[in-house]
Amino acid sequence: MTTEDLFAGSSISAAIPAAGWTGALLGLAASLVLTVLGFRAQRRPEAVRHRQLRITVWLVLGGAALSMLALEVALLTDNFAMAYVAEEHSRSSSLIYTITTAWSGLGGSIVLWALVLAGYLAVVARQVRSTEDRLGTGALAVLALVAVFFFGLITTVANPFEILANPPADGPGPNPLLRDHILVAFHPPMLYLGYVGFTVPFAFAMSALLLRRGGVDWLRRTRHANLVAWSFLSGGVVLGAWWSYEVLDWGGYWAWDPVENAALIPWLVATAFVHSSVVQVKRGMLQAWNFVLVIATFALTILGTFLTRSAATQSVHNFTQSAVGPALLAFFVLVLGGGFTLFALRGERVASLSRPESLASREGLFLVNNLLLSLFAFVVLLGTVYPILVEAITGAQVSVGRPYFDRMAVPIGFGLLLAMGVGPFTPYRYATADVLWSRLRLPLLGASVAAAALVLAGIRSVGVVAIVFLAVAMAGATLRQLVVSAPGRRPRDLLRLVTSQRAYWGGQLAHLGVALVAVVIATSGALADRATVTLDRGEAAEFAGYSLTFERSEQHRQPDRLVTDAHIAFRAEGEVVRVARPRLSSFAGRPQAVGGPSVWSTPTRDIYVALADLQPDRVTLNLYHYPLMSWMWVGGVLVMAGGCWALSGRVRRPAEPEQVTAAKEPAGA
Amino acid sequence: MRSRLVHLGSVAAIVALLAVTAVGLLLGDRAPVDRAYELQQQLRCPVCTSVSIAESQSDTAVAMRRAVDEQIAAGRSNTEIIDYFRARYGDWVLLDPPARGRTTLLWLLPAGAALLGLAAVAARARRAPPPTTELSPGDRERVAAAVDRARSRPAEEEP
Repeated sequence: MTTEDLFAGSSISAAIPAAGWTGALLGLAASLVLTVLGFRAQRRPEAVRHRQLRITVWLVLGGAALSMLALEVALLTDNFAMAYVAEEHSRSSSLIYTITTAWSGLGGSIVLWALVLAGYLAVVARQVRSTEDRLGTGALAVLALVAVFFFGLITTVANPFEILANPPADGPGPNPLLRDHILVAFHPPMLYLGYVGFTVPFAFAMSALLLRRGGVDWLRRTRHANLVAWSFLSGGVVLGAWWSYEVLDWGGYWAWDPVENAALIPWLVATAFVHSSVVQVKRGMLQAWNFVLVIATFALTILGTFLTRSAATQSVHNFTQSAVGPALLAFFVLVLGGGFTLFALRGERVASLSRPESLASREGLFLVNNLLLSLFAFVVLLGTVYPILVEAITGAQVSVGRPYFDRMAVPIGFGLLLAMGVGPFTPYRYATADVLWSRLRLPLLGASVAAAALVLAGIRSVGVVAIVFLAVAMAGATLRQLVVSAPGRRPRDLLRLVTSQRAYWGGQLAHLGVALVAVVIATSGALADRATVTLDRGEAAEFAGYSLTFERSEQHRQPDRLVTDAHIAFRAEGEVVRVARPRLSSFAGRPQAVGGPSVWSTPTRDIYVALADLQPDRVTLNLYHYPLMSWMWVGGVLVMAGGCWALSGRVRRPAEPEQVTAAKEPAGA
Repeated sequence: MRSRLVHLGSVAAIVALLAVTAVGLLLGDRAPVDRAYELQQQLRCPVCTSVSIAESQSDTAVAMRRAVDEQIAAGRSNTEIIDYFRARYGDWVLLDPPARGRTTLLWLLPAGAALLGLAAVAARARRAPPPTTELSPGDRERVAAAVDRARSRPAEEEP
């Protein structure tokens, strides 16, 4: 390298982080301006011109995009003069994991957050067609206020663009767990699209409260954003479970780890909101409750981010301790305090007067669903923060783990499945026993046949039989509803029904997905086989009907790691049907080797092989056999597809003077 | 008459099938309980991040698993084994928090929340259901005809 190259290099290496920081500063300034303009426009629509709002929104989006772009460019050009690159990147990282490194660390993940928020802001701005739309301008202001906080983090405590005086020649690279599986390219962005999306209903709710305006206007206008966010969060949670299963080597998919819980809690509350908003739109009930749920959902996403981004909890997801934790905690308190104060001041104006006539009705079962989902969220939240609170107050350490969560989740989960099996087939207002019986008779018959068949086939787990009973009843009732309410029996007629009532049938699809996930949770828990075997080279053992032999161990050198794998041959009737290669990867600059399991999936079962110990001539394996495991991911896809189907429908809007037609958000955004 | 037969027939079939299920579940031989695994799932691995010793492959967890196996072989009861680990590592080692001491609230609060929620839901719907009147056969036919007409039209939906 010549001196000239060095100079050129150093000026560019300073230019990229400077551009990123400028982008964040631009975003911060523009969101501040937008907050002021938006609130002003909400108070006096004629005081602000629509163009001003539009330009400011573009500046916010442009600033966030510039920051993200600079971050990616710095990573791809090995710009170690930038602090984030020096901490999170290494020259030997492959292309894909270099790109994903942008959200593998604290500062970068906040940049991604700001970009996603700016994207939602731009979409909301498109449906604010004039400053007369006071609900919309107020929502823009609240969204901008949230953006101020996140751009503020980037420019101060979480700044990834800091320039190092003495750049290192190379860095340690991202956490090994974050460069071992391709899912790291999908799970975090998807989770962020979900998390951040709930800012939109929150912003509209705050705007409606400021305007002292109840009604369903804010619900109708946020329906798309809400469903987009919910679908992505559902997908993010399931992908997270899958990632945990494929990467973490412990043979499970859900550990009730604080950070898994941090994604689950907002999902539960958001699911309650998705349902209770239907009750308000259809029957005018639960208005005040919807405000509570939407404030809670948003506050819980911030709390979840706090749990992830601070050292308050022990988890594989945790980034290093920094001032971001206290900032997020303060913001959480602000959201919770501000949101509920506003709600308390304006709540009575928006309280609904109508009440359900009977609990035996669709709205009654929606209430039960909301009760159970809120209780579920409360219990998970309690179990997650309890150890932190006890330690903060008394200094003593306590643990809350799987046994506690399982014991709480199982009865609540059964209740939810029951409500899901009955609710969608119950009429509004009041359901007589005759109506319910006529709708559920055949599904119950089918479910009883399935339960008896399972028992006769030798399955003795009460949980599995009960869950299958509920799931089959639900699927049967859905099928019956489809056939009975379609104009005819031909596939075309059925298709016409599900395309004309997308909200209902999207919901049913999501319910079937949840039922499928529940069945797999039950079967993979109760009917699993586990074994730990130690094999010398050439020695064989029996597991799940196969004879498995430790053939040999091989080392593979890759640019950033040394992979040692064990070749385990599975034989059925003497023929080799599969060679499993569980592995240990050692990364340069990282003391601990990371295990990687080998998962052999078929539609009927998974065989999971993890290394407990590996020496050249001797291996200790943890073996797991899970029936039906891969259907869990199919169930997750169904839940997401249901959400997308529900939001793909055309929406008929009443022609009100203030009602501005929403621009449709792209489903795949 | 026919609908009554269908009704009775379905009730009988469902009851019979569920009886078969219940008897099978009650009388069938249970899979043997893996006591060691159940205990290991309740003990937290001291050197890992929030997993039990059943799931961890660290040396400490392996040693603790061996200790559990030895104690079971020595004929100790579950409580004795749990107490043994508690004495050595403190309450922190229990993944299943006991309903006493510092972790009492973990059990009281959910119960309180559930009661509160039930009361709120019950209060929402305290009125007696309104009397329903059955439709006359003529009305029924008119409704059925209207529903058929509505279904054969492509519908737009409410948000």
